[in-house]
This record gives sequence, structure tokens and C-alpha cells, in this order.
Amino acid sequence: MLARILGYFFSEAAVSLRRSWKVSLVAIVIIAMSLFIGGTFLLLTSNLTRVVENWRGDARIVVYLTADKVAREDSQVLQLASEPPWVTAVEEISATEARSRFEATFPSVRELFKDWKEEPLPPSLEIAFEAEGADDGQLDEWLVSLRAHPSVVMVDDDRDWLRQLEALIAILTGLGAVIGLVLLTAAIFTIASVIRLTAYLYRDEIEVMRLVGATELYIRGPFYVEGVVQGLLGGLLAIAALYGGYVVLNPKASTTFLGNVLVDRFLSPEALVFLLVIGSVAGLLGAVLSLRREELGQ
Amino acid sequence: MIQFLHVGKSFPGGRSALQDVSFQLERGEFAFLSGASGAGKTTLLKLIYREIEPTSGQILVNGRNVASIPRTKVPFLRRTIGVVFQNFRLISRKTVLENVSYLPRILGMSQQERKRLAYNTLRRVGLAHRMSAFPTELSGGEQQRVTIARALINRPEILIADEPTGNLDPELSWEILRLFLEINGKGTTVLLATHEHQYVRALGGRSLVLERGRLVVDEHVEGHVGDIESKPAEEAEDPIQPSTGDLM
Repeated sequence: MLARILGYFFSEAAVSLRRSWKVSLVAIVIIAMSLFIGGTFLLLTSNLTRVVENWRGDARIVVYLTADKVAREDSQVLQLASEPPWVTAVEEISATEARSRFEATFPSVRELFKDWKEEPLPPSLEIAFEAEGADDGQLDEWLVSLRAHPSVVMVDDDRDWLRQLEALIAILTGLGAVIGLVLLTAAIFTIASVIRLTAYLYRDEIEVMRLVGATELYIRGPFYVEGVVQGLLGGLLAIAALYGGYVVLNPKASTTFLGNVLVDRFLSPEALVFLLVIGSVAGLLGAVLSLRREELGQ
Repeated sequence: MIQFLHVGKSFPGGRSALQDVSFQLERGEFAFLSGASGAGKTTLLKLIYREIEPTSGQILVNGRNVASIPRTKVPFLRRTIGVVFQNFRLISRKTVLENVSYLPRILGMSQQERKRLAYNTLRRVGLAHRMSAFPTELSGGEQQRVTIARALINRPEILIADEPTGNLDPELSWEILRLFLEINGKGTTVLLATHEHQYVRALGGRSLVLERGRLVVDEHVEGHVGDIESKPAEEAEDPIQPSTGDLM
């Protein structure tokens, strides 16, 4: 029985889509555009979030010491650095090692320090820690005590720029959500208009259906399915466009740091399903909006 | 079966379409509802299948107060009443078979069941051979017969017809009227609205006459069979024979 009812809804929706395919296409394209833009932001932020998550694991706190102190000689600083339970490792970097690292990382400017008599870079302690193991209050307190130590010149916390990156992701996510929502609202109203138009084309039939004893579910069902199908097709079109863009950009993008970060991986299956669900719900909403009681001449 | 108790109906603007109408139709009865255009015939019929609601009074169909039926239950009332419209109201993009079998379809019958039922009903009105035609390919008389088949398919207890011969020429009109008599002969209560009083005189039966929204006559009229017999012989013999268009 249910299969027959659904079969009826789908066959009537297919006839209706065929009958008014031009306006339906407009609705599908508009919903695809909104999902494409929303999906683009989703793609960028998901890649960025993944990178940030990876970086978070590698986040360090670097404690720069005064030049005349070598870390190992200053057991008090070392003890302070190793004390908290969330600290997993403390690596001592001497001034010489810091210079070697700098020269290895930036070989083009290695000549810069050639004539220097003293070591140009200070010794430091690189502290690895489990971010999940500490609450922010305790960590901040600990950093204050490190900064206050007379042997410490500066404390560099990777979490600072990770926070800035997270703020950027939040802005991007918010921006994507706002733009996507605005466009999705436009798409919902477009679908509503298309279905209202279709219902207007069918008004005589709807009247006949009602008079011979069709329930409202039977009358409205095909229109609801039509909205869902339009939304679903819009979602599929958006995913196809997103994938097309990803395939075109990815090989080029991966040669640059920023490209690698932003379009390294395509959307996850869950994100794709999410886009399709959003499209379908938007289509259904459009249909429901267009078929309010007064619209169907009840 | 159908009972009107002091029914009145006014439309917005104060125009009164029906005033204090009371009558009762028994099961299996055949009644004509006549009156001039604008007398309130269509309004009265629409009240029976709840396309509109009365302003005053009560309408009982099978003992149920029609006005008190919840909106969501109205379709179930309509499924027990076959309605034949003057302007056919067929769905032009659907075939005769699809038009006739629409109600069985929404009742969840299988395609095979629907087809069998539609075939039997269309055969009853003499149109089984036009199942796959579209309404626009049919003559006026054929379209009216399709409408009748659609009204009959769920074996309604009541058949309501609003000027079913209004768009037909006199010969086809008699054909359709004979069909209604035949349907009534099988136990269906028939209420037929017409502004042509000649049919009432010719066929006889219960006669309800409306005048400016008031029921002014409620009587039993003896039919004058001669009026029917005076019609062309071939019409009188088989009211549901195929039309010339079908034969061609």
C-alpha cells in the first residue's frame, strides 16, 4: 500500500517536472548555486580544520632563555618546564643548535651570521604537551610563572596563532553559513514559486481530485515529492560542480602551501550527504510554503 | 438517505442562495431537482458533498450531519457520493481509463484491479472500447459518460448530477437520462438537477422545484412514456451504443 502511494507520488511528480521542466530547471540551478557556495566554504573550512587539528598535535611552547644561561645549567627552569602533568617532553636547544637549525631551514640567508662572534640566537626549551590534558586556566598560570622567571627572555605559545587560525576558520564557517543560508532562502522561495506555478497549472485537476474524494495527502504528496526531487537534483548538481572544481584545482593547488591546505581533500561522504539532505529539506520547505491551505484554494 | 432540515445558504455580500429548504430522499429514490438558472440547484448539490457549508439548518447524509464532518474526513464522505458535473471536469492529460480509475488508485487498489473495475464500469456506460482515449478525443456525450463512469466506479450509494445534459444535444441528453434510470434501477439513489422540465414530465419520479432559493414544489410526477418513445427509435433501443465517432 505504502509502495503504491509513493509510486503514485513519484510518477505524478515526474510528470509535473517534465511538464514544467524549464521553471523546474531554474529552481534546480538556483539551489545548486547556493549549495555550491555553501559547499565551497565547507570544503575550505574542513581542510583548514583538519590541518589545524594536525598542527595542534605538533604545537609546542618554546621558552627562550637569556644568552648567558644554558638550559641544563638552570635546573630550576627545567624543573618548572617539566613539572606539569600535561607536559610530555622537554627538549633543550642550545644556542649553537638553534643557529644550525636556522641555517638548515633558511639556507639562503646562512651567510648572515657568518661574521658574528657571539651566537645570534638564544638557547631555548621546546616543550611538547597534551592540549587535552590541561585546562586553559592552568596552562596560562604555568606560562605566567615561566615568563616571570629571571632566566626566561620570552615564551612563545603556538596556541596563540592556532587560536588565530581557529578564529579565521570560525569566520569562514560563519561567512559560508550566512551566504549559504541567504542563497538557500532564495532557493526555497524559488522552489515555492515553481511549485505554486505548477499547482496553478493543475488547479482544475486538484479541484476534481478533491471532489472525487482525494485526501489532502494525495493531492499535496506529489508536489512535496517534486520539491524534494528538485532539491536533491540541485544538491547533486552542486556536488558535481564542487568535485569538478576540486579535480581542476587540486593538482595545481597541491604545489603551493596554501593550496595544499585549502583543497587537499574532497568533502567527506557525511558532508556530501549533508549537502543532499539540505537540498532536499529546502525543496520540501519550498513545497510546503507554496501549498499552504489558501494557496490550494481550500 | 439525504435529508435537508430548514437549510439556508447565504454568500458573502448577503446574497441568499437557499432559504429554509427541507426535504428527504429515501434510499433508491430517483428525484429531479429543477428550477430556472440561479434558482439554487447547484448550491443545493454542493451542500450535499460539502463543497460549501450551510449558513443555517442541517443536512444529513446517511444519518450524518454533513456540516459537522471534520475537514479531514470530507474526502471519505465524497467517496460515498458519485458526482456528475455539467462541464464534465475530466482531467485532460489523463486517459479515460486513468480518469475513471483515479478513485480506486487513491484507495490503493492494484493496477490490475483498477483496470478491471474501470473496464466493467466503462462497459456499463458503453465506453469500454475508448479506455485509452484522452477526453479531448471524445464527443460531448462520451465525455459525459466517462464522468458518469467516474462517479459510479466506487459503487456510490448516492449519485448526484448537476445539469448532466446541459452541454449535450437533445438526442444525447435522452441517452444520458436513460443511463441514469438504469443506474437507479440497480438501487442507487439519484438526484439530478436540470432546468429542463420536459425531462421530469417525460420520465416521472420525485420532482423538487426550486424558485429563488425556496423549495416551492415537492411532488411525485407520473412519467409520460410517449415522450420518450417519440424520440428516434435507435436512441430508445440502446442508450449506450457507441457513437458515430467510435464506429468510424
